[in-house]
Amino acid sequence: MPVDLDNSSTVSGEASVSSTGNQQNPLPKSAAKKKRNLPGMPDPDSEVIALSPKTLLATNRFVCEICNKGFQRDQNLQLHRRGHNLPWKLRQKSSKEVKKKVYVCPETSCVHHDPSRALGDLTGIKKHFCRKHGEKKWKCDKCSKRYAVVSDWKAHSKICGTKEYKCDCGTLFSRRDSFMTHRAFCDALAEESVRNHTHSKKQSPEILTRKKHVPDPESLTGSNPTASSVAPVETRSAKIISPRAINTKRPESPKTPREILQEAQEPTGGLNGVFFESSSASPSIYASPSCSQSLFAPSSSIEPIALGLSASHGPSFLCSTRFPAQPAMSATALLQKAAQMGAASSGGSLLRGLGIVSSTSPSVDSLVPNGLALGLPCGGESSSGLKELMMGNSSVFGPKQTTLDFLGLGRAVGNGGGGGGGPGSTLIGPRGSSIDALATFGSGEFSGHDIGRRTS
Amino acid sequence: MVTMFQEDNGTSSVASSPLQVFSTMSLTRPTLIPSPSSPFKDLKPEERGLYLIHLLLTCANHVASGSLQNANAALEQLCLLSSPDGDTMQRVAAYFTEALANRILKSWPGLYKALNATQTNNVSEEVHVRRLFFDMFPILKVSYLLTNRAILESMEGEKMVHVIDLHASEPAQWLALIQAFNSRPEGPPHLRITGVHHHKEVLDQMAHTLIEEAEKLDIPFQFNPVVSGLECLNVEQLRVKTGEALAVSSVLQLHNFLATDNSGHSPSGDSASSLPLSNSGKIDRFLNAIWGLSPKIMVVTEQDSDHNGSTVMERLLESLYTYAALFDCLETKVPRTSQDRMKVEKMLFGEEIKNIIACEGCERRERHEKLEKWSQRIDLAGFGNVPLSYYGMLQGRRLLQGYGFDGYRIKEESGCAVICWQDRPLYSVSAWRCRK
Repeated sequence: MPVDLDNSSTVSGEASVSSTGNQQNPLPKSAAKKKRNLPGMPDPDSEVIALSPKTLLATNRFVCEICNKGFQRDQNLQLHRRGHNLPWKLRQKSSKEVKKKVYVCPETSCVHHDPSRALGDLTGIKKHFCRKHGEKKWKCDKCSKRYAVVSDWKAHSKICGTKEYKCDCGTLFSRRDSFMTHRAFCDALAEESVRNHTHSKKQSPEILTRKKHVPDPESLTGSNPTASSVAPVETRSAKIISPRAINTKRPESPKTPREILQEAQEPTGGLNGVFFESSSASPSIYASPSCSQSLFAPSSSIEPIALGLSASHGPSFLCSTRFPAQPAMSATALLQKAAQMGAASSGGSLLRGLGIVSSTSPSVDSLVPNGLALGLPCGGESSSGLKELMMGNSSVFGPKQTTLDFLGLGRAVGNGGGGGGGPGSTLIGPRGSSIDALATFGSGEFSGHDIGRRTS
Repeated sequence: MVTMFQEDNGTSSVASSPLQVFSTMSLTRPTLIPSPSSPFKDLKPEERGLYLIHLLLTCANHVASGSLQNANAALEQLCLLSSPDGDTMQRVAAYFTEALANRILKSWPGLYKALNATQTNNVSEEVHVRRLFFDMFPILKVSYLLTNRAILESMEGEKMVHVIDLHASEPAQWLALIQAFNSRPEGPPHLRITGVHHHKEVLDQMAHTLIEEAEKLDIPFQFNPVVSGLECLNVEQLRVKTGEALAVSSVLQLHNFLATDNSGHSPSGDSASSLPLSNSGKIDRFLNAIWGLSPKIMVVTEQDSDHNGSTVMERLLESLYTYAALFDCLETKVPRTSQDRMKVEKMLFGEEIKNIIACEGCERRERHEKLEKWSQRIDLAGFGNVPLSYYGMLQGRRLLQGYGFDGYRIKEESGCAVICWQDRPLYSVSAWRCRK
């Protein structure tokens, strides 16, 4: 294997150019100082070695001078040399004291090309050169990431696909810190919409009308992920969220935040990528105290805001005696309520009452009072039971087909027969036992009316 | 006289849902009895709302079973209680009442046609209402966002891009796309947008806006208008050239193709397990034609509700929920006195409701179906799903947050986005590529 001449000189000496490759002449002088080994600052006394790219990329750096066999490690070379039965003199390594060597990157445009930024480790400089200036020959087979250095590739393959954290929105993360940051962002979105309803951004819709917006002033360059904290979400001034502006924000489209996370070699404080940056920088959207809460808040469905009506089923029938004092319930809520009532009267599972159109048909006849501790006497209604219904809060179960008196006129028809008097209305068919639906509508004003005490 | 609706008809009622059972409850209101005039004044809103629901369901039952007298009585009551400028439930009920009445009227086709003979189609009103829908709801905004993002991502590296808009009415969408293309790292491609619409004026306006923008940004751009109804569109008119990357955007258009005269639709409300799909040759032919153009990406926005049941009761029940949700959205955002709101409710939603409830066969064009069914259909036509990117979904969520559209949520369902109000799915956006 051909040997490349190494270009080496002391820090204070001059350079001699190497024989092959695009090797530059990088070496300056520096004063002799005491030995230091601070990272990033090479020992000024150390010997600066500028290797050519070919040398750096070569796999067998150590070559036996006798037979020209190449080895990756010096120890292996020495072992091999023993086999040549060298005379004593030649067997020893050169006796000059070992000088500390530092290496510079042969690529002129690189930061580490300057000897004052030389790297102290040969393996390090080789890896650096491959990573930054080399071709990415190794590709992960599970995802599409490519690597120039074999060890990077191996390390990634081990963790590729073994994601551990999953956000409620479905995104997977292999790192805890990025997961946490995302969760703050993601849940905060959901939580904030509930919490900041009162002082939320009431942007007037006109913002999105024909006025043309200036493209978003912030410029996101891919090479600057940490600095562009601007919080696209920060100020309200329709800066961002118009569909046009959003599309202008992201010049390099392929990078998703997740990829940024994965590719960033040095996470800055655990927050990578613009989105997560902005989460800490924009208190207007998620106040940080609420951030932490929202990290642990379950991202359950947001209850309709204007509803005082509890969406729970059975118990609500038991406990709510009157309507919430809202001026108007939303239509959705009304429908749900109606469905609940329907479900209740059919005696089926209360949970069915959520408006499932094709509920497995609860046959109206086979009503089984659910035994949900409703305090109803099963199977018979006595007037006292009905009174409980009327005054109290139980729900509307009945053993047979129920006909509810809307707004509660109790037509208690016990097993025996019609309630006396009463505006002769209620008996519906042969099955009529009517149960007062008063409780569910619960308003006090009707209880005054109705008192339909029927004695059976 | 007691107003009481007795339910015995089993002829047309489907498996009883809770709402239906609710409708079977008898309602009595003794104070109603003596005075037929304005007896409802002392009803609380909630009670009135519940009563309205009851009446609607009852009326629909009667209509379905043909007992027109009872239906008439119910309609009278409904008219008393509902109102297009009341609270949400009143408004919803008003439009449903009208739809039911129309349905009854259609049994005298001559009468129906005569009454509608002098209705004119006002193009500018239509356009205005559509724009109001865009402004008042985030749905179209999110849809455009997701569409553009999907297009951008799929067109990475392409130099010649051709976008076909199957209903080109809103320039904002393409303005955003032009700007997005302008700021991609490899520079803008040569962009061609073909817009299909049945009104020339709309296309002219759009052309003007888009060309102006493209010139400002100095992007090579072409706008090709195609004045045609979608159903009679010949794909040749779209002039797709070889060598260009094609994107197709369909916003709330595909469901019209499901309108068919034969009722080969399997009557079930459970969309999860239903194959066979409602067979309409038109939709398959259309999807095949699009497939034949080999689009790189096709983004479909559709309503995500099952309004295509074969019986009117099914449709009524489902659409009650959907439109209640939509009207609730308006209630939280727009004041009741707003004329614009009334316009959207009447001319957009009211018309949709009318079509869903009153019409049948080929006339019934608002055949909304659940996302699952659309996915099946599109998949069968030879398309593969392209999951919407994380970034796109994130942007969508931020849009909803940023403008205070509280109560809306986006959730993801097998790679597609579903926009919901509270928990009710309303619209879905999905992206597809041509699978060879």
